Amino acid sequence: MRASQLTQAMVVFRKELTDWSRDRRSIMTVLISSLLAPAIIGFMFTNLASRQRQVEDITVPVIGAANAPALVEWLKQQPGIAIVAGPSDPEEAVRTRREDVVVVIPEDFARKFAASKPAQVRLISDGSSQNNRPKVQRVRTLFQRYSSEIGSLRLIGRGISPVVASPLQIEDIEVSSAQQRAAMILGFIPLFVMIAAFTGAMSIATDSTAGERERGSLEALLVNPAPRGALAGGKWLAGTATAMLSVLVTGGLLFALFQYIPLQDLGIKFVLGPAQLVGTLAVVLPLCPLIAAIQMYVATFAKSFKEAQSYLSFLMMAQIVPGMMATMNTMPSKAWMYYVPWLGQQTLLTDVLGNKPIHPVVFVVVALTNLLLAAIVIRATAGLLVREKIIFGR
Amino acid sequence: MIQIENLHKRFGSVHAVDGVTFTASDGAVTGLLGPNGAGKTTTLRMLYTLMRPDEGRILVDGLDAVTDPQGARLRLGVLPDQSGLYPRLTAREHIRYFGELQGITGADLANRTEHLLKMLDMTTIADRRVAGFSHGERTKTALARAIVHNPKNVLLDEPTNGLDVMSTRAVREIIRRLKGEGHTVLFSSHVMQEVSALCDTIIVIARGKIVAAGSPDDLRQQTGQANLEDAFVALSGLDADISTDARRAKAETGAAS
Repeated sequence: MRASQLTQAMVVFRKELTDWSRDRRSIMTVLISSLLAPAIIGFMFTNLASRQRQVEDITVPVIGAANAPALVEWLKQQPGIAIVAGPSDPEEAVRTRREDVVVVIPEDFARKFAASKPAQVRLISDGSSQNNRPKVQRVRTLFQRYSSEIGSLRLIGRGISPVVASPLQIEDIEVSSAQQRAAMILGFIPLFVMIAAFTGAMSIATDSTAGERERGSLEALLVNPAPRGALAGGKWLAGTATAMLSVLVTGGLLFALFQYIPLQDLGIKFVLGPAQLVGTLAVVLPLCPLIAAIQMYVATFAKSFKEAQSYLSFLMMAQIVPGMMATMNTMPSKAWMYYVPWLGQQTLLTDVLGNKPIHPVVFVVVALTNLLLAAIVIRATAGLLVREKIIFGR
Repeated sequence: MIQIENLHKRFGSVHAVDGVTFTASDGAVTGLLGPNGAGKTTTLRMLYTLMRPDEGRILVDGLDAVTDPQGARLRLGVLPDQSGLYPRLTAREHIRYFGELQGITGADLANRTEHLLKMLDMTTIADRRVAGFSHGERTKTALARAIVHNPKNVLLDEPTNGLDVMSTRAVREIIRRLKGEGHTVLFSSHVMQEVSALCDTIIVIARGKIVAAGSPDDLRQQTGQANLEDAFVALSGLDADISTDARRAKAETGAAS
C-alpha cells in the first residue's frame, strides 16, 4: 500500500512538473526572481565602483607650486592626479565649496627641505563636508607617502635602514561610506536566496490547489482512488522541486557574479567561493520542502489564483520581516534562533557567508526540523482535501 | 450495481436530499431526472464519496461507500458536476494521468487510451492541448479519463449539458455501449428527451424527494399523460409553484457551494 502511494505521488509529481514547465508565466517568474538578486547586487556594486573611480581621478589645486618643483613633479606622476593652479583666496574657496581641498606650499619650503627640516605643506579642507572626505584623505595620504619616501632616502644616505624608522605597520580597514554600503548589500544575500525559494514554489503551490478549484478539476481528481496523502504529497514534491530549482539558479548566478566583482578593490574581505556556495545550498535547500508545504496549505483555502496569490504575498511579508531584522543586525544571534524556520536559515546563512565555523550537526538538525514540520503541514493539507467546504466551495 | 437507501443531506435549514432510495442495476441505464436544484448533483456527490450523507446507506457492488470510500472509488467511473481540465495538457495526457492514478501502466494503459480515443472519435485531437478545445471536445476528454480504468459503475452528472447535436449523439452512443458491455450507468439530466431516449429506469426527483420511478412507459401510465414531458412536469409539481422551486434551487446551490 505504501509503495503504491509513492507511485501515485510520483504520477502527480510528474504531471504537475509537466504542467508547470509548459506555463511560460511560471518559468518567467522563476527566471526573473532568480535574476533579481544578482541584478540588484551587481548594479549596486557597479555603482560603488564608479564612485570609487571618481575619487581616483582627482584634480588638486596647488598654490605656490614653484616653491617645490620636485614635489609637484612627483605628484603629477601619481596615477589619477592632475595639478592645477590654486585660487587666490583658498580658504574662502573651500568654505564656499568651490574647491574640496587646496594645497598651499609656503615660500620657505625649499630652504627647510634642503636643510632636512620639516617643510610645511598646508591642506585646506572643510571637515564638516562628508562628500569630500575620501578626496582629502587621498591627498593627505599622497603627502604622507612622499614624506616617508624622502625620509627613507635620507636614512639610507646616512647609512641607516629605513625599516628601523617604521616601528609599526598599519593596515587600513576602511569602514567609511562605500565599504559600509557594500557590507550592507552583502547582508541581503541570504534574504535574496530565501526569497528565491519562496517565489520558486509559488506557481505550483497556487496552481495545484486554488487553481484546481478555480478550473473545476479538483472534483474529478478527488474521485480517483488515489489516497489524499498521495495527491497532496505529489503536488508538494513538485512545488519543492521548483523551489529548489529557483534556489540553485539564484545561487549559481550569485556565485558567477562574485567571480567578477572586484571586492578587494573596495577594501572588502568577502568571498563567495565554492565552499560558501555549497554552505548556502546546504542551508536553503532543506527549507524548500517546508516553504512549499506551507504555501500549499494556505493556498488550499483560496478559491482562486488571485486569492491564493494575495494570501501568499502576506505570507512572504511575514517571512521577510525577521530576515530583515536579522540583516539590519538589530538582533544578536542566539542559539535558539537556528531552530526557528526561516530565521534559523537566515542566521545560518549569515554565518556561512561570514565564514564562521558551524558544526555539521547544526545543519542536519535544522534540515530535519524543517522536513518534520513540512510533513506535518502536508498531512494537514491532505486532511483539507476531505472537507466538503474545500472541495465544493466556490 | 448501486443501491441507495434512505439518503439524507441537509445544508443548514435546506433539506437538499430527503430520503432518497433507489437501485441502479447492472447492464441498465438509470436516469436521475429533475429540475435544477432538485437534489440530483448532491445525491451523486454522496454516491461518488466526496460528500458525506447525514443519514442513509450507499452500496457500490455491495460495498459500503460511506465507510469505505476508497474501495467504492475503485469501482466507480465518474464524470462529476465540475469536470475542469488542465489547459496545458493534451487530451491523451489527461487520459494517461487518470489511468496512472488508477494504477494502470505500460502497454495496458497505452492500449486503453488508444481504444478510448478511437471510440470517442478523438484521434485527430488527441495530442493537442485542451486549452483550445470546444465544449464537446472537453466533455469527451473528461469522459474518457473518467472511464479509462473500465469501471463497473459509471456515474455521469449532466453529461450532455451544453453539447451540440453531434457531441450529444457521441455521448449517447457511449452510454449505450457501456450498457451493452454490462456496466451500471447512472446519469442525471434535466432534459426529458435525453432520459426517455436512453433509460431503462427513470427516477424523477424534486425537492430532494423521489416523486416517481419506473420505465418511461410506467411513468406515462402513472400520470395519465401521453407525453413524457407533461408527465415530468406533473410529477415534479413544477406547474404548481415554479417560484418556490427556483428559490429552493438557489438555496441549495448556495449552501452546497
